[in-house]
Amino acid sequence: MSRATRWAVRARRAFDDALWGPETAARLVFVHTALSALIGVRIVAGSYRQLAETPPALVDPVPILGFLDRMPSAEVFVALQVVGGLAALAAVLRRHPRLAFAVAWVCYLVLAGLRGSRGKVLHNDLLLLWASAPFLLAPVDVDRRDPVPRRRYGWPIRVGIVVTALIYFFAGYHKLRRSGPSWAYGDNMRYIALWGPAIGSSGWEGIARWTGEHIWVARASGVFILGLELAYPVVVFVPKTRLWFAAGAVFLHVSTWFLLGLDYWAWAVTVPLLLVDWPAALARFRERRAGRAGAEARPATAG
Amino acid sequence: MTVDDVDAPAEPGPAPTGDDEVPRRARVLVAVVLVLLLVPGVVGFDLWPLTGWRLFSLSRDADQTRWVLLAVDAEGDRDVVSLEELPLGYRHAEWPMSELPGAGRARRDEVCQALLGAVVDARPGTTELVIARDHARLVEVDGEWVTKHDHEPFHSCEPAEVGR
Repeated sequence: MSRATRWAVRARRAFDDALWGPETAARLVFVHTALSALIGVRIVAGSYRQLAETPPALVDPVPILGFLDRMPSAEVFVALQVVGGLAALAAVLRRHPRLAFAVAWVCYLVLAGLRGSRGKVLHNDLLLLWASAPFLLAPVDVDRRDPVPRRRYGWPIRVGIVVTALIYFFAGYHKLRRSGPSWAYGDNMRYIALWGPAIGSSGWEGIARWTGEHIWVARASGVFILGLELAYPVVVFVPKTRLWFAAGAVFLHVSTWFLLGLDYWAWAVTVPLLLVDWPAALARFRERRAGRAGAEARPATAG
Repeated sequence: MTVDDVDAPAEPGPAPTGDDEVPRRARVLVAVVLVLLLVPGVVGFDLWPLTGWRLFSLSRDADQTRWVLLAVDAEGDRDVVSLEELPLGYRHAEWPMSELPGAGRARRDEVCQALLGAVVDARPGTTELVIARDHARLVEVDGEWVTKHDHEPFHSCEPAEVGR
């Protein structure tokens, strides 16, 4: 076998594992349930019905809602929230989970689309919508006590991770494409901090001004953001880095809230849900605690 | 918790059996999702929920032009109305305003009138609403960053026109 062929085989295996690799049933059920809960919270807690007051002249429907010439009534918003919220709850409780998840996902898509039908392209809900799309067909006849990692349990999680990595990468790629590397090390972050957000206000005015007034802090922030985004595909192929990238994303979105007041908490929750194997981490934690308790008990017994 | 903790499977078990295959319809769904994500992501266009993910991708500098609303009172004084003062449905009005230069007179009036009602509710003494471009510049003065504004009126409407 030639060197090139060997590389091709290795690359094919790596991509195959990235998309279709095995995971445990416990992890699948955990992520599916947690994403359902998160979608439910976004549906129920979002400020949607106030959008009914938007004058038709200010409505610019997103393409999938292009048939609308105005916002629906407040009653329609509330109905979407009630149906979507109940469906999300059913999915969390594993009652007809596939149908319930699909109904909740569609309600969330429509509500987020209506919120984005005011001219500005909104990304706040898109990572959760895209990363949870594979779960529309996730297996639901799952024995969560099955300890064997299986491909049929793993693919929704693996694809969710690939989707997440691509989204962050594209965010970095377009910064490079439209502004070049100086986006990170130039004065850009200083002015982002000083100008503040286009809509709303900084979560912590003092930290935004401080960042703007200290150019090295601003530049370090820029390098961190662009570096994190461009490096994100690493999580697909190097699982050991996932915890650090998840922590990086949480830090990014929390600091963005402080700096610009932007609501990206759905991203900050979705990313660790997908990237970290929480059931395995919990099992390890319990194991370690039991081990420590055993070690503490032994000398007492001996004495 | 360490990195090793989170990557290990819950427990090692026997190898997967032969029926452990990803269903064909799942592969189709994944292909559709990836194509819909990759094409706009690489090209960089927005057809929500398809998007180019161009978040904060344009570098910012000391100059910025925004679309603003100026409320004019009975004395003729002009004051900027923050969109944050208006109900939720009006907060993104800057985007419809930014498309007015390419629009006809009727569309400009329509947008202006749509905003006027909410502005009059927030500022009852308003006698005229001006849609303007704000050519703003950040300058450092004695170590403090201050914003200098230059408002360029673009279109206006008055409450008497409401319902006309």
